[in-house]
Order: sequence, then C-alpha cells, then structure tokens
Amino acid sequence: MLMSRLPRFAALAAALAIGAGAHALAAEPGVTADSIRIGTFGALTGPGYLYGKLPMNGVEVVLDEVNAAGGIHGRKLQLVREDDRCDAASAIAAIQKLVHQDQVFALIGGGCSNATFAAREAIETAKIPTLIFASVHDGITVPPAPNIYSTALTSSIESEAQVLFAQQQGAKRIAMISMKDAWGRARYAPLMEILKAKGIALVADEELSPDANDATAQVLRLKATNADAVIMVLYPKPAAVYIRDAQKLGFKPLNIGQSGIADPAAFEEQVGVPGATASFRTISQVKFTPEDPAMDKWRKLVETKFPGDRLSVYNLFGIGSAQVLVEALKRAGSDLTREKLQAAFATIKGFNTDVHPGPVTCSQSDHRCHKSPAWLAKDPGGPIRVLAVTTIEN
Amino acid sequence: MLLFSYLLMSGVTTGALYGLVALGFVVVNKATGVINFAQGEFFMFTGFIAWMLHVQLGINYLVTFAFAVAFGFALGCLTDRIAFRPIAKSDVVSLVLATVGIAFILKGLARTIWGGKADYLAFPPITSPDPIMVGSIMVIPQQLAVLAGTAVILLLFVAFFRFTRAGKMMQATADNARAARLVGIRTDRIYTLAFGIGAAIAAAAAVLTAPLTLLYPDIGFAFFLKGFAAAVLGGLSSLPGAVLGGMIVGIAESMAGGYIHSSVMELSPFIVIMAVLVLRPSGLLGPAKTRRV
Amino acid sequence: MAPFGRRNVLLALLTAAIVLPAFANVYHLFIANLILVYVLLAIGLNILVGYAGQLAFANAAMFGIGAYATGLLQVRLGWSFWLAFPSGALLATVVGLAISLPALRLSGLYLALSTLAFAQATQWVFLHWEGVTFGAGGFKTPPLSFAPLPIDKPLGLYYLSLVLMLGLFLFAQNLVASRVGRAFVAVRDGEVAAQSLGVDLLRYKALAFGISGFYAGTAGGLYSAMLNFVAPEGFDLFQMVLQKAMIVVGGLGSITGSVLGAGLIMLLLEALRAFKGLQEIVFGALLVGFVLFMRGGLISVLKRHVRGWEEPLRLPQPSAPMPAPRPIEAPAAGAER
Repeated sequence: MLMSRLPRFAALAAALAIGAGAHALAAEPGVTADSIRIGTFGALTGPGYLYGKLPMNGVEVVLDEVNAAGGIHGRKLQLVREDDRCDAASAIAAIQKLVHQDQVFALIGGGCSNATFAAREAIETAKIPTLIFASVHDGITVPPAPNIYSTALTSSIESEAQVLFAQQQGAKRIAMISMKDAWGRARYAPLMEILKAKGIALVADEELSPDANDATAQVLRLKATNADAVIMVLYPKPAAVYIRDAQKLGFKPLNIGQSGIADPAAFEEQVGVPGATASFRTISQVKFTPEDPAMDKWRKLVETKFPGDRLSVYNLFGIGSAQVLVEALKRAGSDLTREKLQAAFATIKGFNTDVHPGPVTCSQSDHRCHKSPAWLAKDPGGPIRVLAVTTIEN
Repeated sequence: MLLFSYLLMSGVTTGALYGLVALGFVVVNKATGVINFAQGEFFMFTGFIAWMLHVQLGINYLVTFAFAVAFGFALGCLTDRIAFRPIAKSDVVSLVLATVGIAFILKGLARTIWGGKADYLAFPPITSPDPIMVGSIMVIPQQLAVLAGTAVILLLFVAFFRFTRAGKMMQATADNARAARLVGIRTDRIYTLAFGIGAAIAAAAAVLTAPLTLLYPDIGFAFFLKGFAAAVLGGLSSLPGAVLGGMIVGIAESMAGGYIHSSVMELSPFIVIMAVLVLRPSGLLGPAKTRRV
Repeated sequence: MAPFGRRNVLLALLTAAIVLPAFANVYHLFIANLILVYVLLAIGLNILVGYAGQLAFANAAMFGIGAYATGLLQVRLGWSFWLAFPSGALLATVVGLAISLPALRLSGLYLALSTLAFAQATQWVFLHWEGVTFGAGGFKTPPLSFAPLPIDKPLGLYYLSLVLMLGLFLFAQNLVASRVGRAFVAVRDGEVAAQSLGVDLLRYKALAFGISGFYAGTAGGLYSAMLNFVAPEGFDLFQMVLQKAMIVVGGLGSITGSVLGAGLIMLLLEALRAFKGLQEIVFGALLVGFVLFMRGGLISVLKRHVRGWEEPLRLPQPSAPMPAPRPIEAPAAGAER
C-alpha cells in the first residue's frame, strides 16, 4: 500500500503499539484477557433511530445479563455505539471509526438499509465479523460476504411471505401501497419480481409518503379497482393514516402489513378508529409483542436500564440478535479470534432465541439466518394472536 | 363528482393543517422579518408535552390545551431571548441558523425524553373517532375540529392585528423598526411577543392535529417545509394568505394524487410554488413589491 | 509578515494536509477527504450567498446532481470516471445557470423558497425516475483505479481532492478580488444601485449561480467516488443546513472562512460522536453559540484578534506602506502644470 512511507509507518506503528497499553497485549483487536469489545452501528439521531438506538438498547440488556452471569469464557462484553445518521458517508465513517479507532472485535448493528448497504464494502475490507440486526436490504447479504451474517428478515423474504399469504387467503385482485424511500424500495423491487414470477398482475400500485397525513386520494384509487387484498409497504404512521382513511371511505380489503408494523396493539391505537384494523394482518420478525407476558423479563430489564422508555418491538430485534451473537461467541471458544467467530456463526442451526418465531439457522452459503416470519392478527379490542409461523425456503 | 368532493375535502383539511403552521410563520415574520426554522419543532415539542399531560398523566383535555398553549408561548419567548434578540441585527442566514440550532436542540431533547416510548405516539381525539357523514361524504370529526380551529385562530389574529394596540405595534415594528422605536414602541418586547404567539399557535395546532398525525420527534420537519411553503406562497406578511397558501398546497397535493397518480403528490406543491413565484414574486397576497434603494 | 497571519496558517494547513496520509488511519483519511469535499461546497456556497447575497437553498441539490451525473455516466453509459467527473460538474453548472433565471425576479425569502422547491423537486426526481437514477435504493459506482500510478484508491482520491481544492480555492480568491467579485458585492449590497452603476444583474447573478453549481458538482463527483455509492439521502435539506452552517461559522463573504468553517463543522460532527444519542442537542447548542458569540464567523474573530487576517475586498487597506512623499520639484521650464 503506502510503500514509500513504510519506514515512517513502521516507526509510527511501534509508537502507537507502545501507547496502546493493555490492548497491545492481545493478538486480536478488542479482546483482552477479561473483556471483549463489541461495536454497534445504526442511527442514534434522526428518524432512523427506531432501527438503530432502540435495537442497540436491546443488545445492551442482553450483554448486561451475560456479564452478570460471568461473561463468556470469563470475558465481560463491552458495547461501543456509533451513529451512522442513516447516511452513507456517516455509516462508512462509523464503521471505520469502530474498526480502526475504537478497535472493536466484532460488530452487531445495521439500521437504515442504504447506510448499511453503502458501508458493506468497508465492513468486508475490514474483515470483521458482523451481525446485522435490522437492515433489510437484500444487497447486504446477497451475495454473501464471508464476514457478514444477518438476523433481520430481509426484504425478499418478507415480500415473498406477503404474496404467499395473499394467495393463501384467496385474494384475486391484489394491489399495493408503498413508500418510495430506501426501505420501501428495498421491498418493492423483490415484490415486483416475485409477483412477476408467479404471474400475478397488480390491479393498483399506489404511493404514500412517510410523512403523509391524508391518504384519501390513494384509497379512492385503490377502491376504484375493487382490490380485495392490499400489500402495505409502509411505516406505522402512513399505514395508520391509510387504514383510517380506508375505513372512512368504506374500503375494507385484506390489509397485509410487514415487520415495519410489528406491534398490532400499538398500531390499533395509532389508527384510532375502532374496528378499522379488523382485517389487518402483519408480519413480525419477533414472535412476541411488547405487552405479552412472556416478555416481562425483558420489559423489566429495558425499562430499568433506560428509564422513561417502554419496551418495544425494536428493542426485541436487538435482543434476539444479541442472543445469536452471544451463542456464536460461546462457540468460538476461549482462544478467541475473528476467524473463529466467523466460523462459529456458520455452525448455528436450529437455535432458538427468546424472541424469534422460528429457529435461527445460518450456513456457509446463506448468511440470512432468520427466515421464519410470524403472522400476527389482532381483533379490535381483543388480544394479539399468532396466526402462523411460515418458513421461507429460497 | 364524488371523487372530486372527497379530494377537495381531503385537500382542504390537510391544507388547514399546513395553514395553521403557516400562520405561526407569518406572525413571527410580520414582526421580525425572520423565518423561524424551529416552527416545526415548536409544534412537535408542545405536542409531546400535551401527550405527556393528557395521555400519561390523564389530565383533562381542555386543561391540557390551555397548558400546552401557555407552554408554547413560554417556549417562543425563550427562543426569542436566546436566539433572536442578541443577534437581531445580523444577516438573514445567521438568524436562520440560530433558529436551526434551536430546532436541533428541541428535536434531540424530544428524542431523549420520549423517543424510547417507541414508534409513533397515539393521541386520543377530542371528538368521537367514528367517521360521520357531512353531505354525501364521510369525514373524520377531528378533521372538522382542525378546520374550525384554523378558522378561529385566523379570525382571532386578523382581529388582533387590526384592532389591538399590540397588533398595530407589531405591524409598525415590521414596517420600520427604527421608526417604531422612535415613537416609543418597545421593539424588543414586540419581538418576544411575536415569537411567543408564533409558538403558541404551533401548540394549538399540535393539540388539534396530533390525533390525526401521530407524534414522533421528526414530525416537525415535514410540517416546517409545507408550512413555510404555504406562508411564502400566500405572501409572508398576510395572515389570510398563509391559510390560503396552505389550502393551495393541500389541494394541489390531493388533486394531483387523485387525478394523476399518488407518486406525484410530493412534487405537486413545489411545482405550484415555483409557478406562482414566477408570476407573482412576492406571493399571492403579499405586498406590492417595493424595493429599498 | 504576521506569524499567525492568514497566509501562514493556510500554508501550515496545506502542509499538514499533504503529509497527513503518513500518520492517519483509514478513518482519519476518510474524514480528511470528506472535509476537502465540503470545503469545495462551502466555497461555492459562500460565493453565492456571502458575496452575491443570493439566499439560495439549492446547493445540496447541485451537489446531488454532480454526484448522480458522475455515477450514472459511468454506470449507464460506461464512461470512465475521468470523463464522467468533469461532465458531472459541467451538468451541475448548467443547472445552476438555469435556476438563476427565476432568481432574477425573486429576492430574500421568496428566493429561498423557490430554490428550496427546486431542491425538493430534484430529490423527487432522484427518488422516482427509477429508470435512470435507480430510485431510493441508490446504486454502486464502479471502483476507481488510479492506474498506472501505484497508489490505491483512498490515497489517490485524497490527493486528487486536495489538488482540486487547492486549485479551486486559488481561483475563488482571485475571483472575489477581481471585477467580478466586486460586482457580486455590489449586487448583494444594493441591486438598484448596482444597476445604476452598470452592473448587469442577469449576468452576474447567473455567474454566481453557475460558479456555485460548478463547485458543488465537482464536490459531488468526488463524493460519489469516495463512497462508491450514490443515493438520494446525502443531498437533502439537512445537508443544505450543514453547508449553510459552514459558511456562517467560517464567515460569510470570506473564502478562507469557507475553508475554516467546513473543516471546523466536519471535525465537530466527528467529535460529537462522543455524545452518542445527545449529538443533536449539543450540535444545536453549538450552532446557537456560534451565531451568538462569533458574529460574522470565525474570520471576523480572527480579524479582530490576530494580525495578518485582512482579506481583499474589505475596507481597502494599504498592503504596502505609502511611498515616502517626494519633494516637490520646480517644474521644468515650459512643462505643463
């Protein structure tokens, strides 16, 4: 690389090594005799914080629990957070800072899809084992990079699940309403491909802005086509606006959501019109919603460590992912190296976490470890039901 | 025809939302000549305060409304003291940047305090949530409340500027601050009042519209953009212009979405704006352009 | 020659920039390159806003047009980076010239809104014209190689950015000290008066918009090469606000100020990482603080307290001492008085 500067570089490297203290003793960056430093990246600020800061909070309580029980092979886990501001340049900078400045051993993170996708090259170049907890962009995991694994349901997995569900429920006239931002588009493209592969033509293809306050135009156009199922590629806010306006205008198809709207109880509240969510079904990356008694333990941990917060599905994304990371760390053994951790990921098969609907399975050829979305429904005023857990094979 | 009425109604109700935010801009601009880039964040923050009072603490709606408006007023006065008064004579860009700083502070605070409640917070409507029939179309009652609220606030402030001494003092200050001071108007108090009122309007708007729009820390920006557009479109010194501008933006969106395609909804207001400004460079109801030589 | 004067400080910064790669890790180099890109943006914006007084919000959009053009010409038409890059800058310049036309009739906040509308329309095009721009998901650009030079991409791009920045900085310094620069200031300080002095408003406004478009487009091309990725998010209103902050903090109406402001804000953003979730609050507070306490920006503070920071086009200051008065000689016989 910097051939002509090698002598200067060597001198500098020596100086830095001396100054680095205890960290210089370990062969692996981020690993000492009694600690492992894990880096996490995602949006801490800006609207993407739901997919960054909140899952990170979930990761942190899992690591706390592990540390309280003595750590992994006697090493306590430390979490270092960096903000990618949901922006490509900041994401690359965050990764580089974590790897070269903060010297972390492994990464868990990835919120905004475009940011993570842009940073993929930097992550691959750094050869640091990385587990993605929320980014859904297919390009992050396909084709697989040797060091990147994911517990997030990727866009094509969820899109396929949505189409299959519509067909299973007997829908004949399928329409779509989507957001044209990076997240929405990451799902739109695979959806269109899957529909084409199955020979299904959409009767309507409408767009709704993430900040929309009114969906009357969209609902009227959808209604005019007599759609009986609408695939919603929307965040909770525009989704709530859509469902509310649909109810207002008497349009009641089967509304098919995805893991962006993973909490049907919160969603019902957001829609605010009684009965409007009666025919709303959605996918969740996690099997439980925050009010479920099975989540009591995590609710207590999150709400104690982060006073003022309420347990949310976004925390659960981080919790599940962290449990996979911890398992891989355990399997990598006490003589810990990055290669061993990377190899350990590939050995995780049929592993059950506290939150995922189905077993987590990674393999050398497919680094998407979570392919079992859960289908949730909630009768207005009633409890949340898990309709089914489907597993997508592809 | 039914399609048209629905689209019109939807455009008018969204337009009223934008108009409310625009009113806040115009009040501040009338007195100070500044665009408050934190107007959207005033809206957001007071909305969260109202949520905290009404939903978390269970306080009665009208008391919450009153308190939120008072809090908004105080927030506006504070902003004036911190970010405007010390630099009132600076250039426009610096003034804008100071309000941008306030916007970031408020957004960060909101994210830290309430962000962890997750997702988008629901706010119970003031009216019953079931849609009702108005003529031959269905409306959600809260939307009617927003329309009514906009009309009331507009009339209130038109009266304020026309009939009260404080309103006339504000107009005098906007026309020529130095002359206003010469006749004994306390211009610094006028500035504070302007900011306070602008923020109070944002608070009223927030409480009225939160049931429709949901609350999250980043809601301010979208409203800022559309509200600013509406205010300038109507001519920055005209209150009815602000509401008119809001209506135009809302109806343009709605009609474009209904008749062309929903994907052009986000673009249409900006096309309209660029067209209007080419034809009428100081907005629809703005003053005839006089140039300082 | 003042020891901490403008020239010396700038030379010191330049030297530091040249030798930086020997001491910096990957992260530092990336940030330094980003600073160079933003310096270009800040200089262009300062020419438009600080010198010509046009309150325009379109710079981030032209940044985006430069980046998209450079990337798309490579990906869609197979052009090499070395051809696509200048073409992208040129396209942004042309767009800048085009939007100067409506700017003629508008001023102040009305101009701000119409340029803002233009910026939003550009964002919309980036998002929706998927057949060309790949839409919201963005696209990757082909990796850049500096063959036949034996340097890898990050280093090569860094030096390319440094050379461009240096060249364009010197160009800007000369521009603002020239007739054109004075015409800009005349337009800013009083349009009617400027016209009465024979300054052609259309020509100089168009020039200002075009130049800022060129700088933004160049910055955009470099940015696309840095990230190897182009997506709509990097060119939104937040970006615009950031660029405005840079010129205000550095000093409106000062090219050196743009350099300092860009560097300072970028370094600040990285330093703010330490605050994790509280970054927004700290950033906002700092912004308010800067505006309140550093009236006129960093440059004016330096001018007040440190010798040697005068710039051309302020109050005319004698840079050389006045020549000693010559004794009056009796005119030669027959010479004209």
